[in-house]
This record gives sequence, structure tokens and C-alpha cells, in this order.
Amino acid sequence: MNSRMSELPVEIVMIEDDGGHARLIEKNIRRAGVNNPITPFSNGTDAVTYLFGGDGSGLTSKGKPLLVLLDLNLPDMTGVEILGRIKSNEHLKRVPVVVLTTTDDAVEIQRCYDLGCNVYITKPVNYDNFANAIRQLGLFFSVIQVPSPD
Amino acid sequence: MKGRPLVLTLPRWRFLNLQALLLGIGFLLLVGISAATVFLVERAASDSKQLADTLSVEDKLSDILLTVRRAESSQRGYLLTNDQSYLDDFRDAEPETLDTIAEVRELAGASATRKSTVDRVDALVTGKFREMKRIIELNESGKRSEALRQVREGEGRRIMVELRDAIEEAIDAENDLADVRRQASFRTSNLLLFVSLAGAALIVAVGGLSVLLVQRNYRRAEAARAELASTNANLERIVAYRTEDLTEANEEIQRFAYIVSHDLRSPLVNIMGFTSELEALRQDIFQEVEKLNAELAQVKGEAEARKEDETTRQLGADFDEAIGFIKTSIGNMDRLINAVLKLSREGRRQFHPETVDMDKLVGSLIETVTHRAVELQATMSVGELPPVETDALAAQQIFGNLIDNALKYGRADEKLQIEVRGRLTTTHAIYEVQDNGRGIDRADFQRVFELFRRAGKQDRPGEGIGLAHVRALVRRLGGTMGLTSELGKGSTFTVTLPRRWSVQNRSAA
Repeated sequence: MNSRMSELPVEIVMIEDDGGHARLIEKNIRRAGVNNPITPFSNGTDAVTYLFGGDGSGLTSKGKPLLVLLDLNLPDMTGVEILGRIKSNEHLKRVPVVVLTTTDDAVEIQRCYDLGCNVYITKPVNYDNFANAIRQLGLFFSVIQVPSPD
Repeated sequence: MKGRPLVLTLPRWRFLNLQALLLGIGFLLLVGISAATVFLVERAASDSKQLADTLSVEDKLSDILLTVRRAESSQRGYLLTNDQSYLDDFRDAEPETLDTIAEVRELAGASATRKSTVDRVDALVTGKFREMKRIIELNESGKRSEALRQVREGEGRRIMVELRDAIEEAIDAENDLADVRRQASFRTSNLLLFVSLAGAALIVAVGGLSVLLVQRNYRRAEAARAELASTNANLERIVAYRTEDLTEANEEIQRFAYIVSHDLRSPLVNIMGFTSELEALRQDIFQEVEKLNAELAQVKGEAEARKEDETTRQLGADFDEAIGFIKTSIGNMDRLINAVLKLSREGRRQFHPETVDMDKLVGSLIETVTHRAVELQATMSVGELPPVETDALAAQQIFGNLIDNALKYGRADEKLQIEVRGRLTTTHAIYEVQDNGRGIDRADFQRVFELFRRAGKQDRPGEGIGLAHVRALVRRLGGTMGLTSELGKGSTFTVTLPRRWSVQNRSAA
């Protein structure tokens, strides 16, 4: 997965509070042959600080090709809130956001797409399906184009 | 509120009785006053007539005296002048007087005093006129001195004095009588006035009492009404409050079920995920072990190596067994969580009432299970099913589950027969799904409808969700669920649904 203009590899920011899930996701993405760097966060606050910087302006992420893998159920804030902030930030709004969560509530799905989420995936409960889904997501990552940073 | 007496009944009864009594009293008073008035007016009329009679009698008696005097002066005038023309008045006077006497006699009526007075006056007048005529006749026949002598003798004057006395006496008597009559008339008038005033006062009193009574009862009724209204309002508030409470509790449970089932899934994914990882690791480890065993065989010989192989296989089998139990348990837990999730989702679904053609609905359900029915050699018959106004999807789930259950729990010794039939009552549509399957023990009638509970031999797949779901749906549709069954003979599930959709059905849940 590369950004067309820059030669920098796309960094996957994974915001997932469940350590086990994070590990399984990472393993299965790797199994799909995706070797991009993955930066995991287990809570919203750290992820937000990383994405938007200490001043919250998002300048720190300017020029970095990113892809955000987002869980909606976080201990300190909701993923929806983070999604909203990303999509309304001048420097981050074009960053693809993949929501990967257990919630399959129709209203929640609608809300995420309304806020500008790019892909919404419900985590399958059955592990085989889960692994399969993540592997396919990995394959998907390997072919998608991430917009060039400004 | 239960068992509270109706406060309005008793006072209203008393009120009506008293009202009737007062009305009766008022009516009787009016009748009494009217009768008294009529009587008194009658008496007053007779009083005044008698008074008038008295005056008339007095008048006529004076008239008689006057006329007789006129006749006497007319006779004297003739005797003085010998002129016949003086006698005109005399001749008129006699019949006039007699007429008047007749009139007085008539007025006297039954009064004995008056009668005797009239008789006396009559006699005196007749005597007087006879005397006067005799003297006139004497003078006409030329015996003038004899005539004058008789006048001088004074018999005429004596009769006249007697007549005047008699009449004066009678007039005095009549005057006395008039006084008595006048007093009686006055008394009657007074009495009439008194009766009228007293009657009026009594009626006013009765009316006033009645008004008071009405007012008091009105106030009571008003107070009772106000109390009732406030009680009603209170009741409604309580009902609304409770309903809100229940709805809230229900929503809470739904939310709880949803969250629980969701949050339970996350660790489950990990357990399952890392179990798979363990399995992958097992492959790697045992491959290593086999490699080492092969190396061992070269060092220690075939026999030792076979023993090691045997141990390794045993270890592998133990490992697989452990992993197998874990996976099965996870699978079960996964199904249960999914069931809870499904139920909680169903519980939140909005119903869309419509007129459902049950023949068509059940027909298509039967069609989907035809393949299984043929395999089981089961006969399925559907009677005429009345349409019902309800949620089509819910009805589909209800009857789908019941038919599915009937097919699932057959008997080995008997070919399965399933019958679906329906009928209508005035308010409800009743459907029955009957089978001749294995049946349910009476002790389990309640249990089979409970979540995750099953009854009888556990030789068929299932989580114990179907009937719990069916009953929850039927209840939410405003209906009831019934079951009759005999172990080893078959079961009949009865679904009773309201024919018309009502807002009270817990469509919003």
C-alpha cells in the first residue's frame, strides 16, 4: 500500500482497546502480505494526541500518508467522536478511515458513513470468519490508493 | 381504588325522596289555600249580598212609608178642595205600595222577623188604604161632614203612627242586622287575607327549603364529582407513570441484552482466535517433536523411537481433545449469545400491522419444509385459516417455528401427521398447530416456553429459543399462547391473536 506521489509507505494507525483483538488483527493483516508499519493505540486519548498533536491542530500528521483502523467502543471516548474529528480536520479529512467494530446497529452504521467513514466492517464473532475478514481487509489494503499528502 | 363505594348513590336517593316530599307538601298547601280562598270568597259574596238585601229592605220600607204619606196627603188635598184631580196620586199609590210590599216579602225570604214585619206593615197599609177609601167614598156620596168627622176622629192618624213606628222599628232592626253582616264580612275578608298571606308564606318557606336542599345536594354532588375527577386524574397519572416505568425497564432490559451480547462477543473472538493460534502452534510443535523423534530413532533404535512416537500421539490426542472441548464450548456460547442478540433485536423491531392472508402465509411456510416432510414421510394438512390483522413477519416467525418444531419432534414408531387449522371468535382468531409427535410432559408445559430451556430427550439440535421467541412475539402482538399435549401422543399449540390491530399491542415495546 503506497501513496501515489510520495514513496513513503502508508502507516496504519490502529485504534483498538482490546489487546487480543489488536494482536489478531495485526497477525491476520500480516498473513495477507501487508508489511506497512502498524501503530497500535489502546485508548482514544493517546490516538488523538498522536493524530492531532499536542495542540490538536493536526499539523503533526500533515504530509504523512495514513490509514486509520478504528474501533467504536473505546474506554475513554467513542470512536464516532474520533471519526468526526478526523473528517472535520483540514489536514486529516482525506485520510481513509476503516471502522472495525462489533456494533452492527443500523443507526450507528448510518451515522459513521454520514460523518465520512470510508469503510464500515462488523467484526464477525466466529473466529474463522473474523480471521478471514481481516485477511481480506489486508488484501484490500494492499491494493487501495491512499490520497497524497498535501 | 378497588372496592371503593360509589359515593354518589346514597345522597342522590335521599335527595330525590326529600324533593318529592317537599313537592307533595307544596302541592297540598296550594290545594288547601285554593279551597280556603274559594270558600271564603263565596262567604264574602253571600255576606255582601245579604248586606245589599238589608239595605234594599230598608229602602223599600222607607218607600212604603213615603208612598202611603203621599196617598194620605193626596186624600187630604181632595177633601179640602173637593177637586177629583188631587186623587191621581192616591190611585197610583195603592198598587205601587202593594208592589213594594211584595218585593220586600220576596227579599224577606226565610227570615221570620222580616216576615212578621212585612205582615204587620201589609196589614197596616191595607187598613190605611181601606180607611182612606171609605172617607173618600163618604165624601163622594155627599156626606162630607161625616167624612171630615171620621178624619177628625183620628183613626187614620193612629194607623199612620203605628205604621211609621213599625217601619222605623224594622229599619232599626235591619240596621242592627246590617252591622252584624258588615262585621261578618270584615272578618271574612280578614280571614281571606290571612289565609292568602299564610299560604304564600308557607309556599315560600317550602320553596326556600327546597332550594336549600337542592343547593346542598348540588354542592355535595359537585364535591363528589371533583373527588372522582381528581381520583381519575390521579389514576391516569399513576397508570401513565407505571407505563413509563415499565417501558423504561423494558427498554433497559433490551439495551442490557444488546450490550451484554455485544460485549461478550469481544472476548469470545479472542478466545477463539488464540485457540486457533494454539492449534497452529500445535502443528509447529508436533512437527518439531516428530523431527526430534526421527533423530532419536537413529540414536536409540526403532523400539525406543516407537515408544516415543506412541507418547507423542497420546499427547497430541490429549491436546486435540482439550482444544476440541474449548471450541465446542465457544461454539455453544456463540450460539447462545447470538440467540440473546436476536431476541433483543426482535424485541426492538417495530410491527407493521396489515391484513394477513393466513392461508397464503402458512401455505408458503409448508412449501419451504416440503423436502423435509417427504424425507420424514410426514403428512401435512392445512385447514381453512381466517385472515387476521397483525404483523406479517411476526406471524411468519411464529408459525414457521411451530411447524418446524412439529417436524423436528416426531416419533420413531409412528408416521408424522401435522395439521394446521383456524377459527374465529367475535374478537379473536384462533390457530392450532397439531402433531402426533412425541408430546410434552405436563410438568414441562411452562418450561418449553422459557429461554434456553428444553424438554424431553435431547436428541435434536436446538438452543431452546424457538418457543420462547414465539411466545414473546405472540404476547407483543396482543395475543396468548396455549399448549395441550400428552407424552407419546402428540401436542397442540394454540395461538390466539386479536382480529383487529390495537394500539395497545406493545408494538413499540
